[in-house]
Amino acid sequence: MKVHALRSYTIAYLVFLYAPIILLPLFAFNDSKVIAFPLSGFTTTWFITMWKDQSLWTALKNSLVISISVAVFSTTFGLFASRAATRFEFPAKGAALGLIMLPLVLPEMIVAMSMLVVLLAIGVPLSIFTIILGHVLLCTPFSTAILTSAFQSLDQSLEEAAMDLGETPLSTVWLIVLPLVMPGIISSVLICFTISLDEFIMSYFLGGNEPVLSTYIFGQFRFPARVPAIMALGTILVCLSITLLAIAEYFRRRGIAKSGGKDTGGFL
Amino acid sequence: MSTKDAMIEFRDVHKYYGDYHALRGITATIRPGEFFSLLGPSGCGKTTLLRTIAGFEGISSGAVLVDGRDMSGVPAHKRPTNMVFQSYAIFPHLSVEENVGFGLRKDPRSSADKARAVGEALEMVGLKGYCKRASHALSGGQRQRVALARALILKPKVLLLDEPLSALDKKMREQMQMELIKLQRQVGITFILVTHDQEEALVMSDRIAVMFEGEIAQLADPETLYRRPNSRKVPNFIGTMNFLPAKILQESARAVEVDVAGFGRVNVDAQQVMACASGESATVGFRPETLTVLFDPSAKSERESMATIEEVIYFGDMTYYDVRIDGTGTPVRISMSNVFGRQVLDIGARVRVGWSLGALVLFR
Amino acid sequence: MLKHNGAGKRQSEAVSGWLLISPTFLYAGLLLAAPLVAVLFYSLTLKDVGGFSLDNFWEVWTKPIYQKLMGRSLNVSLSVTAVTVLLAYPVAYFVSFHVHPSKKSLWLFLITIPFWTSYLIRVFLWKVILGYNGVINSGLMSIGLIDAPLQAINYNVQAMVLTLAHAYAPFAILPIFVSLEKIDRSLLEAGRDLGENKFLTFWRVTLPLSMPGVIAAVLIVFIPTVGDYVTPDLIGGGKLPMIADMIEVMMLKQNDRHMGSAIAVTAMVIVAIVSLIFLFLNKQFLRGTK
Repeated sequence: MKVHALRSYTIAYLVFLYAPIILLPLFAFNDSKVIAFPLSGFTTTWFITMWKDQSLWTALKNSLVISISVAVFSTTFGLFASRAATRFEFPAKGAALGLIMLPLVLPEMIVAMSMLVVLLAIGVPLSIFTIILGHVLLCTPFSTAILTSAFQSLDQSLEEAAMDLGETPLSTVWLIVLPLVMPGIISSVLICFTISLDEFIMSYFLGGNEPVLSTYIFGQFRFPARVPAIMALGTILVCLSITLLAIAEYFRRRGIAKSGGKDTGGFL
Repeated sequence: MSTKDAMIEFRDVHKYYGDYHALRGITATIRPGEFFSLLGPSGCGKTTLLRTIAGFEGISSGAVLVDGRDMSGVPAHKRPTNMVFQSYAIFPHLSVEENVGFGLRKDPRSSADKARAVGEALEMVGLKGYCKRASHALSGGQRQRVALARALILKPKVLLLDEPLSALDKKMREQMQMELIKLQRQVGITFILVTHDQEEALVMSDRIAVMFEGEIAQLADPETLYRRPNSRKVPNFIGTMNFLPAKILQESARAVEVDVAGFGRVNVDAQQVMACASGESATVGFRPETLTVLFDPSAKSERESMATIEEVIYFGDMTYYDVRIDGTGTPVRISMSNVFGRQVLDIGARVRVGWSLGALVLFR
Repeated sequence: MLKHNGAGKRQSEAVSGWLLISPTFLYAGLLLAAPLVAVLFYSLTLKDVGGFSLDNFWEVWTKPIYQKLMGRSLNVSLSVTAVTVLLAYPVAYFVSFHVHPSKKSLWLFLITIPFWTSYLIRVFLWKVILGYNGVINSGLMSIGLIDAPLQAINYNVQAMVLTLAHAYAPFAILPIFVSLEKIDRSLLEAGRDLGENKFLTFWRVTLPLSMPGVIAAVLIVFIPTVGDYVTPDLIGGGKLPMIADMIEVMMLKQNDRHMGSAIAVTAMVIVAIVSLIFLFLNKQFLRGTK
């Protein structure tokens, strides 16, 4: 009976979680300029309006450039940090890692503003490049955390075995370490990409006048007439992120199957 | 020293981890073609010593020589030794075949020759036809065999085995012990086994080094280790030994005469006299199977004493009796095979205990 | 003969470790530590006049306008944290204890999916739901339950709390779930075996053991919500500014880096103090249940 109540509560909670998202397609296909009930009919107009908006494409192009760069750089930085953290003992290791992970426990607004003050003071023009700088700072802790757990599950004797069998430390990294942490690298790339694509505060303050997807969306909210098209865009984004998430989950499971481990669920 | 009869030579090897003195002056020689074991409790430095041969641990001072060549500055991947890891370290992303052939990457032979070598190595360890198997689908025993094939295919001068059987269940372990012995005879390579299992070391080795706290306590063949341990620590680790206090009465070059509580005056042969640690008083030690409970009233023994049974531990094929010999303070253990038709005695029974002089070891 | 040296090896390991971590460390140092130091410097110096002084902080801490904004931010963040964690705990508990192990990843997947949709759009959707002409009002009016739009549900602090509680839900559920998963189930059986009823077993065994996850959830929700910028703007309609808005106004619109920095540093100090209080309470709680 108590379990029953818990289960009902959990389902109610899931309804709460999904409520806003279910509204997205509902109003994306609703033939009305106002987001309100009752629904007035089916239309695909909003998708066409969205598709024809040139500024969306500019923002999307900028966002893709940013997110791909961020995914690559953050994962690279994450690889360095996590390998050092799991493989070596050195003085002030905790402090070094603490600084790297610090963005996780600082309000984003403060990080963004601090960077902005310094960038303005030394005269760096705000652009896509400065957004990338900020996003890499933000995503590196996530990448480091994901890759640290990947490196931790790597049995050190595998590396020793490879060297014992005649491989140099460098070729051991190439033949043994990288293939075995590849699932971690892939999920780090996907997660950094997603975080960067979604990020708003840094893009808004560090981007100057360069539009990206999130600032474009934010701008559109000011014009009620544009909102239905944003619903259409949101619907597409939701489908895309579910696909990405499914891919990430697939690689995670394959990684577990490869190393013969047990699935303990949840990849965050 | 002539290197002909030394495959491995440790010369006063010391190893520090910060302040911790892990290896305290190891000097020993391991002969070519020998099955050698490093035996000791966990933390005694046996694995560290093995890893200094493989090159995974540097040493703080001294020298490690493999086949007459000083290994200092030689990285792990250039040493003529191969290792079977405790966790087996089977590469999970590679197939059985790729695992076994891993070390052949830089081998100039054709791929067909290499494939044949892999097949032969797998056949040697009893895994014929397992080439294409995924490595994560293997059982513990099979992983063990793949690890062996992978190390032996490179024809190393020395095969290092780091507790290779500890993860297997009892039956599988005993089977692998026999197979390892056969394999070693077949390939003729020096095997160095690290183990904390005294039985495993006794069964498998030509010679054993017993280690405590970073030092080799005794290095000898299994029988000598068992019959003539050179300190009280060694027999405490290998099997069981009874100890009774002794008082030295007289000594000559050939024997020492002692008075042992419960046994009376005995002469111990100089060969059976060992030094004991400082601070310990003289004791005689003897194994449980060297005493006999004389069931038959007419049975005779070289020497005998009267005793009372204090505890009976029944094992099926064996029975352990803890008895107090008249005139002694502490009980001693006697192990007796259970012969068909013979009754197991009860606690409190009075018995005659037979013993012989040759079984006594004197620590003084 | 070459001699290996224990200390030497450890030194070379330290060098390798530092070399390996240095690219990431330097990046964080240049783009995070240096700007933070700069902000601290600005906060301690006066605009136009220069020279070190605590006047900026004095102003931030005594002026009613700042006090009110700080108070509101803290109030919203703490409410969001409490609501989110309290709502999340039973869900994490259910998935960990009453879902078959093979189905757990599916449930977690279901819980995390909404989190992966655009944060901005999610926040905006709550505005759409709760707004004056929003989904709830229009829905209720169209089925005739109310005649005029409800005003109690829009543009207020409660609406912000609800929106943020939704946005940070997975962040709260996952750490609690992980800590619940780590609990050895035989401990609970031992608790029952030792004569505690189900509720007391939960109170004396499960809850203390899951406390690290709860604290992690509290910090993960509390810290970012203090600096949230989007929700006050969209849900609060700009009428309920919080710390983030204030920093923006000072830094960019009034071009006063010194005051802006003082506010930012104050916010960081508040976050640090509240976090430390939570960690301290956790320690006390764990000690109290022993």
